[in-house]
Amino acid sequence: MGSWFEANLVSVLNGGAIGCLLFILAIGLSLVFGMMNVLNLAHGAVFLAGAFIGWRIGGESPTWGTFALAVGAATLLGLLAGAVLSAMTEPLRNRSHLDQALLTLGIALVAAELLSMTFGNDVRATNAPPGLDGTVPVLGTDYPVYRLFLIAAGLLLAVTAWLVVSRTAAGAVIRATVADREMVSAIGIDDRKVKLAVFAVGSALAAVAGVLGGPVYGARPGLDSTVLILALVVVVIGGLGSVKGALIGALVIGQIESLGRALFAEAASFILFGALAVVLVLRPQGLFGRADMAGAPR
Amino acid sequence: MDGMRFTRRRLLQLTGAAGAVVTVQACGGSLGGGSSPETSVKVGLLVPQAGVYAPLGTDMRRAWDLWLESHDGKLGDYTVETVVADEGETPQTGVPAAQRLLQSDQCDVIVGIVNSATALGVRDIVHEAKKILIVANAGAEDITAKASSPYIWRSSFTNGQVAAGMGRHLAENGPKDGVFVIASDYAAGAEAIAGFTSAFEAGGGTIAGRADPPFGTTQDYQPFLSRIRNSGAKATFCFFAGAEAVSFVKQYRQFGLAPDVPLYGSGFLTEGGVLDAQGEAALGVHTSLHYTSELDSSHNKEFVQSYQDAYDAVPTVYSVQTWDAANVLDRALRGADGLDGDTLSTALGGLGPIDDSPRGTWSFENQTPKQKFYLRKVEKRGDRYVNAVVTETGAIGQPG
Repeated sequence: MGSWFEANLVSVLNGGAIGCLLFILAIGLSLVFGMMNVLNLAHGAVFLAGAFIGWRIGGESPTWGTFALAVGAATLLGLLAGAVLSAMTEPLRNRSHLDQALLTLGIALVAAELLSMTFGNDVRATNAPPGLDGTVPVLGTDYPVYRLFLIAAGLLLAVTAWLVVSRTAAGAVIRATVADREMVSAIGIDDRKVKLAVFAVGSALAAVAGVLGGPVYGARPGLDSTVLILALVVVVIGGLGSVKGALIGALVIGQIESLGRALFAEAASFILFGALAVVLVLRPQGLFGRADMAGAPR
Repeated sequence: MDGMRFTRRRLLQLTGAAGAVVTVQACGGSLGGGSSPETSVKVGLLVPQAGVYAPLGTDMRRAWDLWLESHDGKLGDYTVETVVADEGETPQTGVPAAQRLLQSDQCDVIVGIVNSATALGVRDIVHEAKKILIVANAGAEDITAKASSPYIWRSSFTNGQVAAGMGRHLAENGPKDGVFVIASDYAAGAEAIAGFTSAFEAGGGTIAGRADPPFGTTQDYQPFLSRIRNSGAKATFCFFAGAEAVSFVKQYRQFGLAPDVPLYGSGFLTEGGVLDAQGEAALGVHTSLHYTSELDSSHNKEFVQSYQDAYDAVPTVYSVQTWDAANVLDRALRGADGLDGDTLSTALGGLGPIDDSPRGTWSFENQTPKQKFYLRKVEKRGDRYVNAVVTETGAIGQPG
């Protein structure tokens, strides 16, 4: 019984690590969707691009130097990709989500093909940088240090994002844009610039998540759609356009993927979407979303 | 009016004559062009060129080209014309590609197919067209069992057969008390577990537990690794391939199970490109497979050398399976006096042992190989990781 308890505590810890990684991935998608009302299905492709960059720069066994370089390169590429995506979706701004989905899905497919042409079709894996690549004893069992690092990175980002959004002038503009975009532009703020900035930062975080996720998920063709679906589920469960929603959504999904699969192994395939269905039935706007965001296109 | 009628009739005559000339020319073209159909064979090479299986497709195509290059472009006395088609990832792409090879390209033989669902999906069209298909990878039992056809042969393996090799070995050499079995939750994984379990239990082994992580959607194996640890198992047998093989082997090491609970598996776990990605994490993993590039036989050394010279890469089991598909076709065509499915099927059935394969001698039994399996252990040689041979089993056929 004791070991059962301990093993499941490890699953809880692990759910936190996966959740934190998902948070870094999903916060960009949530803000862009929630604030700018743009559904960006190319988000997963940006993650995969980051993962491939991490592998290309760091190789199988990165040093701290190459790891930092990879994070920097992924940030730059993510900013650029976000800017391009923002520009491309601009003409569709007042069209339905379906049009946006078709455009960004097309971009995602083209990007995935370009990545496969550039980096090949092989499965790539990379290790954690030195010092983080070992294990520590946690509750009587070995646990990878790198995943503890992911928890730290995710929480640090969460605190930073919360401070920026709730305590700074830029954050006030962002919150105002979520609440009422027309009013923000009516008081003389160019909401296209806000959108560009949020898009760029959100995509940069997705690319960085790709680098950070490298030692856990690796890099391979097809990973883009897998993480896109996870990010979408996080956004739907957490609710749109809030840091808190993305964080809670990601942590919930992390627990479902980890603890849920440990406790209900037989139902592992559908437990994720089962939870999604439950949330959709009970709280269609997501756990932290606003009710007026759940309905028809605005 | 008369003149008009004459003109019209004349016009029709001219048109008819012109049509006839075109027809005759067309016939002449087809009669005069190309070599006589008796001395050439058209082979459709159906391998994945895109998607997750693309690396396997590359290995297969390289082996096929290498065979033709080193045999004057011939199978038997027939000059080979190869039509390459993209199998893609799923039957949605693979089956139409096979259909095109048979109907538009009029291929005499099809070689290839990685995905078992695709192999089963093309079964009926191949069977009705009465053309030979040599399956050079797909390992579903049904291909040469429930869904068998006299025209469908296999030069690779069956999922249960590979796992049975390991089951037999563990039952004989241990650890045999308490092995945890884990495999991706899809047909191939289930067949592997069934093949392992029946061979292992027949030899007196006991199973400590079982898990089936969802196929294609599991990125993190921690919940399953915890179960393995809690079960108190002495060893783990697993079936994973591709990206899942990389994730599982790496996480098995990351969570510290590797030193305490040794990892055994079907050979695809550490074969080809996935081994490079696993790197150090795979050291010491034991697998069973019908080939490893490290085999110490003259046929294999010669094959590995020429493959390396041609492509600067080490051949994989996927290369050898395609090489052997060419090998058995070569032998069958030498004895056959036609290219139709029935003639070739009879010829394939009478081949006897294939004694010059890089994998060692094997023979057809129920149209699929009966072959020995090598117990392999991942070691580092120089700067690359290899599957070194530890020991080998006797010949094993398709289970069941």
